[in-house]
Amino acid sequence: MFLFLIASGLTLIFGVLGVLNFAHGSLYMLGAYLSFTIASRFVGASSATFWIALVLGSLGVALAGALIEMAFLRPVYRRDELEQLLVTYALVLVIGDLVKLVWGADNRSVSRPAILAGAVDIGGRDFPTYNLVVLLLGPLVAVALWLLLSRTQFGRLIRAAASDREMVGVVGADVGKLFTGVFMLGAWLGGLGGGLAAPVGAIYPGMDVEVIAESFIVVVVGGMGSLTGTLLGALLIGQLNAFGILFFPRFALVFVYVLMVVVLVTRPWGLLGKPLAR
Amino acid sequence: MKRIVFLAGSALVAVGLSWASPAAAQAPIKIGVLYGLGGAAAPYTKPAVIGHEMAVEEINAKGGLLGRKLQLVVRDDQSKPDVGVREARDLILKEKVDFLTGMIHSGVALAVSDVAKEYKKLLIVSIAKTAALTEDKGHRYAFRSTSNTLIEGRAAAILMAQQPFKRFAVTGPDYEYGHRMAEDFVTQLKKLKPDAQIVAEVWPKFGERDFTPHINALLQAKPEMVFSSIWGGDHIAFVKQARPYGFFGKTQYMAISQGDLDVALPLGAEAPEGMWVSANFAFNYPDTPANRDFVAKYKAKTGELPLSGAAYGYVATYFLAEAIRKAKTTDTEKVVDALEGLTIETPHGPITMRAQDHQANKGQLWGRLKKTPEHPFLILGDVQYIGGEKTMRTLDELKGLRGPK
Repeated sequence: MFLFLIASGLTLIFGVLGVLNFAHGSLYMLGAYLSFTIASRFVGASSATFWIALVLGSLGVALAGALIEMAFLRPVYRRDELEQLLVTYALVLVIGDLVKLVWGADNRSVSRPAILAGAVDIGGRDFPTYNLVVLLLGPLVAVALWLLLSRTQFGRLIRAAASDREMVGVVGADVGKLFTGVFMLGAWLGGLGGGLAAPVGAIYPGMDVEVIAESFIVVVVGGMGSLTGTLLGALLIGQLNAFGILFFPRFALVFVYVLMVVVLVTRPWGLLGKPLAR
Repeated sequence: MKRIVFLAGSALVAVGLSWASPAAAQAPIKIGVLYGLGGAAAPYTKPAVIGHEMAVEEINAKGGLLGRKLQLVVRDDQSKPDVGVREARDLILKEKVDFLTGMIHSGVALAVSDVAKEYKKLLIVSIAKTAALTEDKGHRYAFRSTSNTLIEGRAAAILMAQQPFKRFAVTGPDYEYGHRMAEDFVTQLKKLKPDAQIVAEVWPKFGERDFTPHINALLQAKPEMVFSSIWGGDHIAFVKQARPYGFFGKTQYMAISQGDLDVALPLGAEAPEGMWVSANFAFNYPDTPANRDFVAKYKAKTGELPLSGAAYGYVATYFLAEAIRKAKTTDTEKVVDALEGLTIETPHGPITMRAQDHQANKGQLWGRLKKTPEHPFLILGDVQYIGGEKTMRTLDELKGLRGPK
């Protein structure tokens, strides 16, 4: 579910802006570091602290996303895809070094909120409460995003801009602001993923690269730009991974990549994606 | 970008040193230092560079070596063998360094070791632990100032031979280091305890975020003890995710190198009490003047307790410096001869560089994590030191592994 949250931001940005955002992992990392800083500012790891840090941290990332979009992406929308990729890759390096300058290179860690630190008994087996909350949060975000895209004016404009940005501009909508908004939303999802992943992992420089590779696999398998595809991709990869680890521990890693290859060969546009019309 | 910053940094250090003393009129002795300075290696390699710097500052403050100052040239090998080879060549050919040291990534260390052999440059590997470096891939110019996977795996087996556990599970990161460590542990364990069983093996990839399936697979096999070489950020993630499953109540867990502060500090009170861990460096053990002095100096320099990386860099630099002092020259062949069999006092206690395989006899600290009132994190309790001489390859074993010197 972490993967879904992160990958959904990636697929949203690609679907609307047409930009393959390599720096999405960096936004995820930024979210983790920001919520670490905010959480450690308040003394005592009360549950409220954690949620405040999560909300403020992810909003901070959204803000950073807005700045990035306006300063670096706007000038390259009309350029070649390769150039856009280069810009976002440059951002990976810049944000990576900035994070090291600000937070240093040590491992960091955030405590789980106390009430979620335990486990609940489901069918005789322990299931960590925190994971359960994230598990519920995933579909919630998916539904909220879907409502936003299909039921609001903002969503209609986004969908319109995704298919024809000139036309949306012609009918009087501010495409620039719209794109900034979408990028902010995508960045917020990445930051939220980082903030949520922080208490169950370590925060360190390099976590950005680890996550971006996995997110790309999810998005490629699910279908570029398709939200439901991303959800399906995340679930499928999680299951396949668990299956491999249990039965073929030495080759567990292979299965996910085999799936990706099979999907790419048979349906290059992903399970629920749409073939590119060229 | 990174490289420029570091070049600028080392240039500044160089300028600072040359102003500091009149002895700098002579050209400095240049030491090339290679590490993966980004990513998951950074928590170890950043303090390691500080460790090298501390040693160099101490030596230079006392007038340097042979009337010459020491100077470090630090490069980022990005934990990639090809980059390591490129940077090592550059250090040798363009920077004209006299010696090479550093390296955390085993693949990089092996690749750079080949370069050292080609150019006949002395190399002291400070962190990377693949046993191959001082065994089948060993040669006259390659040394290692820390322990290796074989020493650590065997030490863990000796420790477990004293315990009643029979059902073992093994896990580790899915690359050279993890597999080698597990193999060395299991081989020795079966020798010492023939009735020991391996009931499960699980190989999460390096940098795994979600250990849930691995945790479940381990628990399902119902082991009494899990042997693990999962390290750094991955260890932190594993512990945090395993706790709610009651993992550490259902099985014992032993983690190589995870008693180090690099993970003990961020885990804080979340570390499970009683977990078996080894440490590459402990600020409170051994309680010797050399260790106290090292901890005090590092604290004065950085305001923090030294992480394991700092000791790696510090010890490697001193091995090199003492060998130069003994050889009375910087001539590589003579320094190699001087380094063979050399014993130096270190924060870990005295360590000897064995002449036959160029492997330091650094032993293993094992203990169980315990809470103390004076620290907000768990420290090593009931410390047991398993000396390197008990776990290193015997000279007989070596004969079959290494060709003629």
